[in-house]
Amino acid sequence: MIEHIAPGLFNGLVLGAFYAIVAIGLSLIMNLTGTINMAHGSFMTLAGYLAFALVSSGTSFWFALLVAPLMTVLVGFLVERTLIRPLYNREPFYSLLLTFGLSLIAEEVYHLIWGANGVPFSPPASLGGIINLGFMNFPVYRLFIAAVLIVAIAALALFLTRTRFGLRLRAAVQDSEMIAALGTNTQLLYMINFGLGIFLAGIAGVLAAGMLGLNPTTGNALLMPAFVTVIIGGMGSLFGSIVGGVLIGLTISMTTLYIPAASEVSMYILMAVVLMVRPRGLFGEESVFG
Amino acid sequence: MTHIDRRTFIKAAGVTGAAAAIGIPAFIPRIGEAADNIKIGVVDPSTGTYAAVGGNELNGFNMALDMWNKRGGVLGRKIELAIEDDGSDAGVASQKARKLVNQDKCVALMGTVSSASSLSVSNAAHDMGILFVDSGGHSDDVTGKNCNWNTFRTCHSTWMETHATGFTLGKKFGKKWYLITPDYAFGHALETGYKDVLAKIGGTIVGNDQTPLGTADFSPYLTKVLAAKPDVLIVLVQGDDYTNCLKQAGSFGLLKKLPVGGPQVELEPVLALPPAARGGFWGVEWYYKSDKVLGRSNKLAHAFVDEYTKRFNTPPTARSCFGYVSLDRMLTAMADAKTTDSPKVARAMEGVKFSTIFDGQAYYRKEDHQLMWPMWTAEIRENGPGGDKYDLFDIVEAQPADSIEQSVAEKAKVCKMEYPS
Repeated sequence: MIEHIAPGLFNGLVLGAFYAIVAIGLSLIMNLTGTINMAHGSFMTLAGYLAFALVSSGTSFWFALLVAPLMTVLVGFLVERTLIRPLYNREPFYSLLLTFGLSLIAEEVYHLIWGANGVPFSPPASLGGIINLGFMNFPVYRLFIAAVLIVAIAALALFLTRTRFGLRLRAAVQDSEMIAALGTNTQLLYMINFGLGIFLAGIAGVLAAGMLGLNPTTGNALLMPAFVTVIIGGMGSLFGSIVGGVLIGLTISMTTLYIPAASEVSMYILMAVVLMVRPRGLFGEESVFG
Repeated sequence: MTHIDRRTFIKAAGVTGAAAAIGIPAFIPRIGEAADNIKIGVVDPSTGTYAAVGGNELNGFNMALDMWNKRGGVLGRKIELAIEDDGSDAGVASQKARKLVNQDKCVALMGTVSSASSLSVSNAAHDMGILFVDSGGHSDDVTGKNCNWNTFRTCHSTWMETHATGFTLGKKFGKKWYLITPDYAFGHALETGYKDVLAKIGGTIVGNDQTPLGTADFSPYLTKVLAAKPDVLIVLVQGDDYTNCLKQAGSFGLLKKLPVGGPQVELEPVLALPPAARGGFWGVEWYYKSDKVLGRSNKLAHAFVDEYTKRFNTPPTARSCFGYVSLDRMLTAMADAKTTDSPKVARAMEGVKFSTIFDGQAYYRKEDHQLMWPMWTAEIRENGPGGDKYDLFDIVEAQPADSIEQSVAEKAKVCKMEYPS
């Protein structure tokens, strides 16, 4: 068993990067406008299907990896503008119900267009081999995924801290009334912020489609761990999402090694433990409920 | 701007999760139902891991439905289907079964893919005294220790599947097996079957991973396989799990190092695999493009394949066969018994030999209500020859029912059936 620990940890880190990026996308959207996006998984699936459609029509995987998330963002803009914006002044429950309904509709739409059966989508041959890390053989594609996600997270961090737009975003999270009073177009800000979250979901979706089967429910499997990540990492903290994601990835991976039946429940147990010790999450902001 | 506090978030997410678990209420597809129609209830997954195969069972049901309705129905009445989604959840399946009979007034039930659902619907139907034809749930217990007078099973049992493939797998690849098993009734039943085969050939299980149904990431299990030094990787998971497992096995380089095989493979998950991950030696329950399966001069079988393909734009799969045969035989029994009263229909269904869309004759065995028909073994091709992207199975040979299923005497030890007086 001991010889499986190192591969398990490594696997867990890669998984964790996945959950982290989905959680960050969720978090971005939640922090600014209070929208709980239950359709986040559906956007991931959409990006996967769009990538499949692009590659099937002859483009390269690399092109699809860039363009499919962008196409998904356009859909995201449409959804934000028409469906979510009217709900900004209401309780979060409204947006949660709306996006939940959206996710159901999306599943059926994908079913109609591409069928209930999965479609074969795989990374290009250049990413298809395995690499010998000494303690295990690891698929090159998973290393690629980890690399892309790390770059994406780093780029996001730079964007948020070093650009004016990022500055406005962070300010709006703190106090959007004030920033509106200072002249910023907050509606545009909200829309672009939503698009940013969806872009991250889109990248995760294309990458996931290469690793898992691609069918109408592919994104849903990644959504629940992402929510748990947000809770564990702490709402309001993007860094928390990264840490939370890695923690969950490692937890699930290690639990699967020893008690596979408990692998799904392990992240909820972790969540319960964290909440008992630190109710606001590891890096969360304080609120009335501590 | 609204700050969500954590409590609201968790409350809201919890409620939504509960709503999702209960499922979406189904719709009854035929509008304008006549009060006089015979209603048959269908419980099958249209969401979840087994959605794709559940959908093909439904197509099979519809093929039989339309055929019978064109002939005027049964006993002068048209037939209609009332369809419910169980999402492969046993609790939901049982609820839906009761709703179909009590509220929708269905006179019989059929369906299920997940063995857990098959068992729970079988029990619910037994309580209500209603006929249930299990079209797609394979676990032995359905016609074994949980057998009921009202339950019939069309697809092969897990014992048949393991014994149709196990001996050949041992001869072809070796006697040290690594199993990847779905952690519920179906998986455990397959394990039991293979353990019996291994005991007979002197083989061993060098590793056995129980994976929860709906597992997306198999990497924690796959990284352990090579270290256990098996001769062959035996994959028992099905549906989306099969696709994920094989796809990831390929990406870990396992498929180049180790032969792979198992008791059951279906066309639906294989189609979703990239060609490089397609391969191995498996059990196949029915196939649309092989004379070894259909029978060379079986006009009904070939007509079925042609009509189905024209209607649904894809060829029929084993699931389509299960659906078609289940409803067709149920309606035949109703016509023979001249009633829809379940005990009489059940008696009219058992023991009767018939020909249908595969080679040879079949019958539902009187003692346990298992359909006795052959299984086939096949090797999977990476691509369909001649441009038919669906023609991925290379059928090897047929295994007759009597040589792969437990004998009546064996079954009698666990299955005790009693008709209502």
